[in-house]
Formats: sequence, C-alpha cells, structure tokens
Amino acid sequence: MASAFLLDMTRCIGCEACVLACKAGNELPVEMQYIELIERTSGTFPNLVGGFENHRCYHCTDAACVAVCPTGALFKEDGLTRLDRDACSGCGYCVQACPYGVPKMVGGRSSKCDACASNVGAGGSPWCVTTCPAQALQFGDREKILAEAKSRVAALKDRYPKVQVYGETQAGGLGLVLVLPDDPETLDIPADPPLVPVTVDVWKHIVQPVSMGATALAAVGAGVLGVIARRNHLAELKELEEQEKAGVAAGGSESTEEER
Amino acid sequence: MSGHDHEGEILRYRTRQRIVHAVMASSFLILLITGLALVWGPLAFIAAGGWSRYLHRIAAVGFISVPFLYILLDRAGAREVLVESFQYDHDDVVWFKKMYRYALGRTSDMPPQGRLNAGQKLHHSAVIIFSAVIVATGIVLWGFKSSLSPTMLAWTAMIHDLSMLALTLLLVGHVFFTYVYKAWSSMATGYVPEDEMKLEHGKWVEELEHQVATGSES
Ligand code: HEM
Ligand code: SF4
Ligand code: SF4
Ligand code: SF4
Repeated sequence: MASAFLLDMTRCIGCEACVLACKAGNELPVEMQYIELIERTSGTFPNLVGGFENHRCYHCTDAACVAVCPTGALFKEDGLTRLDRDACSGCGYCVQACPYGVPKMVGGRSSKCDACASNVGAGGSPWCVTTCPAQALQFGDREKILAEAKSRVAALKDRYPKVQVYGETQAGGLGLVLVLPDDPETLDIPADPPLVPVTVDVWKHIVQPVSMGATALAAVGAGVLGVIARRNHLAELKELEEQEKAGVAAGGSESTEEER
Repeated sequence: MSGHDHEGEILRYRTRQRIVHAVMASSFLILLITGLALVWGPLAFIAAGGWSRYLHRIAAVGFISVPFLYILLDRAGAREVLVESFQYDHDDVVWFKKMYRYALGRTSDMPPQGRLNAGQKLHHSAVIIFSAVIVATGIVLWGFKSSLSPTMLAWTAMIHDLSMLALTLLLVGHVFFTYVYKAWSSMATGYVPEDEMKLEHGKWVEELEHQVATGSES
C-alpha cells in the first residue's frame, strides 16, 4: 500500500512549525534540516499568487536518487523514499540526480526527509503533519490523499483559476501530492522532471550481489585449486630435474650445453 | 649478461619494469578497496567521512600515470607488452585449448610459448582494455558528474563498476598463476630459473640464446 503526503500550498501560513517539529522529533543535529520553506510567487503585486513551498523530499515513485544510489542506502518502501544513513557512502550521486534538489551532504553523508521512518513504522504519523496548525499537511493512503487534493482544488477554483494538483504523474507519481495555486513553471517547480529508467536500478540490484558472489567464489576456488595445481607443478619440476640428472649421468643431454 | 649471483637464472623484468608494476598493483588495490567502500553498504562507513574518497582520487592519479610512467622509464618494455599481448599465433590457440591442464599445474605437453604465454597475453590485453574503460569512466565521474543526466550517471557508474569487476576477476587469475608457477621472483628480483623458463616459455629462451649467439643485445 502506497502512502503519501498532502501539501496544500494555499493553506500553508509559513509558520515553520513543521520545520522545528521535524528537527526535534527526529532528533536531528543542528546542521541537519529536512524541510525548507521557500516562498514561491507569480504575477505582479495586486494579483500576486503564491505561497510557501514545503520543500523536502517529494518521494518520487521512479526516484532518480534510488536509481543512482550504489549502496542501496536510498530505497523505496510503501511508496516512500527511505534513507538509511548508515549505509550511505557519501558518493553524492543522489545530490546530483534528484530533479528537485533535495538531498544535501551533511557530515559526509546524504541527508533528506525519510518520511519519519521510525515513527511511522511504529504506527505514529509524521512529526510535520501532526504539528501543522493550518491543515496544510496530511499523510495517509495515497489514493485518499489524491482524492482529498482533488476536492480541495475543486473548492478553490474560484479563488485561484489555475489551481491544480501536482504529483499525480510526475516521476512515476509522487509520494507527496501538492495543491498548487498556479502552474508549476511559474512557481519554479519542474512541470515534468525527466524519468530515470528503472532498468538501471534493477541492473544494479542484480549485478552487484552477483558480482560480489562471483568474486568471492572465484577467490575461494582459486585458493583451493591453487594448492592442488602448485603441488602438480612442483611434482612436474621434480620429475624433470630427475630426468635431467639421469640424462647428465648417462653423459648426453642435448640442449643444456651452454649452462653447465 | 647475467651476474655471478644469478647463475642458472635469466632476467625477466628489469628494475624499472618492476617499479611500474608495483605502482600499478598498489594503486589498483587501493582503488579497489576505496572504490568498494563507495558502492557497498557494509564498507560505506570508510567512505562517508571523506578521506577514503580522496585516497581513491590520489590512487587514481597513480593508476592513470602507469602507461606514461612505463614509457618514461622503459620504452622498450612498454612497447613489448603492448605489442606482444595482442599477437596470438597458432601455438597460442592450441595452448588455450589445453588451458585447463595448465591451470592444473601441468606444463609438460603444452605447446612452446614465447616470452608471454597465451594466458598472460589474454590477461595483459584484457587489463589494458578494461583499464582504459575504467580510466575514461572514472574521469567522467570525477570531473563531469554534474553535466550528466541521472540516467547517464547511473550507466557511467555501472560501466565503471563492471570494469572493476572484470579487473578484479583477472587479478584473481593473475595471482593464482603467480602462485602456482612460483612466478613471484620475476617481480621481486626480476630473475627466474632458466630450466623452468625452458619448460614454460621455450620459444623465448631459444630466442634469447639466438640473440646471445648472434651477439645482438637483448
Ligand atoms: C598484488 C598482487 C599482484 C601480484 C602478486 C602480481 C604478480 C605479478 C608477476 C609475478 C608478474 C610477472 C609475470 C611474468 O613472469 O611474466 C606480473 C606481471 C604483470 N602484472 Fe601483476 N601482480 C599483482 C597485481 C597486478 C595488478 C593489480 C595488475 C593490473 C591491474 C597487474 C598487471 C600486470 C601486468 C600488466 C603484468 C605484465 C607486466 C609487464 O609486461 O610489464 N598485476 N604480476
Ligand atoms: S525528490 Fe529527490 S530525493 Fe526525493 S525521492 Fe525524488 S529524487 Fe529522491
Ligand atoms: S550519497 Fe549516499 S544516499 Fe546518496 S547516492 Fe551516494 S550512497 Fe546513496
Ligand atoms: S515526514 Fe518526518 S522527516 Fe519528513 S519532513 Fe516531515 S517530520 Fe521531517
């Protein structure tokens, strides 16, 4: 069952309660922060449209970060993108690949919202959602979240003519459904980030274990065979030496004249 | 001209060739471990602090410099390994067919081999090719990562990693034959026992003898 967040840009009042709740709830060190509120506006003064983008991981279904992550530190679970920081090597590929510029390098490792993996896994709900005073954030079954987003959009049509749901299809469908008051481009949000073929990811997850296994097997095999083969070779050399001795004793070896 | 202390031995690798090999082998092993730390979760803690990533780059400079170093230090040797590794004759074909015997430590009825036997040719040529691939993809990942699309980044990294796999498997075979045929001395001292060379590299020894007989430098 895929889960998802609802982020309603028309409701967010920019209070930053989610930012703080996330940091406190997940006991993040000072230099780490998963949510960044970015003010996005379009139009000119009297007709200004906009709000605060709750910028954090968009939990793409076809996540570019997961596709490029060589260690498997980034992975998909229940439609969300998790990050196991202990397994992260700090290669930085995810920072490079994410179309939304989400992962940051902190202390040599990648850092991003993991959808409160520990909390939600234990039956709780994400800290940011619990704390939002304006009902701009929700979390739940993705189908229900999508339905909720659509009904909110329908209700907002009069106030914001271009209001729309974002995230239904982008990057294979986002685990974070936004209610945008305007077209994404005008709010500086990519309308349709390029897709990363999942094949690369599948490849990696098959190729890597197979490679490690093959190498280990080859090394062990070479070790065992090596002992046997060396014994054979030494026996062969000894035999040759004896033959040569016998030849020398008999007085005539053909090709060893120069040396001895 | 083999000195008195190398009675019954012949020179197989000159000191400068052995230096080049040592640079290649040590930089490769550092690259292998620090590279593995970048792609394998259980070793990721080594890379995450950052220092092993710098070490990977320092070793990469060493590895990339190998062909230049070889040309600089021993042009003739560099030429030899490059040319000979890609030239296979009929004896080599027969050698490959009987390779399983050679792998079991039995040389007696293998066809006569030149300075490099067919297996060494295959190893060296494969090392040259995969090294070129790994250097090319490595340079892209080092300096041009930001201009790659996520898909290209994933592919480049995968080709890089698979070339490393190939080189590692080649290394397993390389060390295997070094052990079975007691070849270590050729890299440790540069000299190898002549009677073993007659058995394993008959055509080469003949060639050396011919050169001595006709007075041309070897
Ligand atoms: C640490 C383990 C290694 C050992 C014990 C080792 C040992 C040797 C030995 C004994 C030889 C001489 C074989 C002969 O008699 O012709 C040799 C040659 C060679 N090895 Fe290694 N080696 C090691 C690692 C490597 C690595 C990592 C590479 C490359 C990735 C490599 C590439 C070569 C090449 C290209 C030659 C031919 C040298 C030339 O013609 O100049 N070796 N090695
Ligand atoms: S938004 Fe970026 S970090 Fe989050 S899942 Fe998508 S690609 Fe990964
Ligand atoms: S920095 Fe970490 S999480 Fe990001 S791709 Fe590399 S190993 Fe994966
Ligand atoms: S879901 Fe959890 S980790 Fe993600 S931003 Fe909200 S509080 Fe932070």
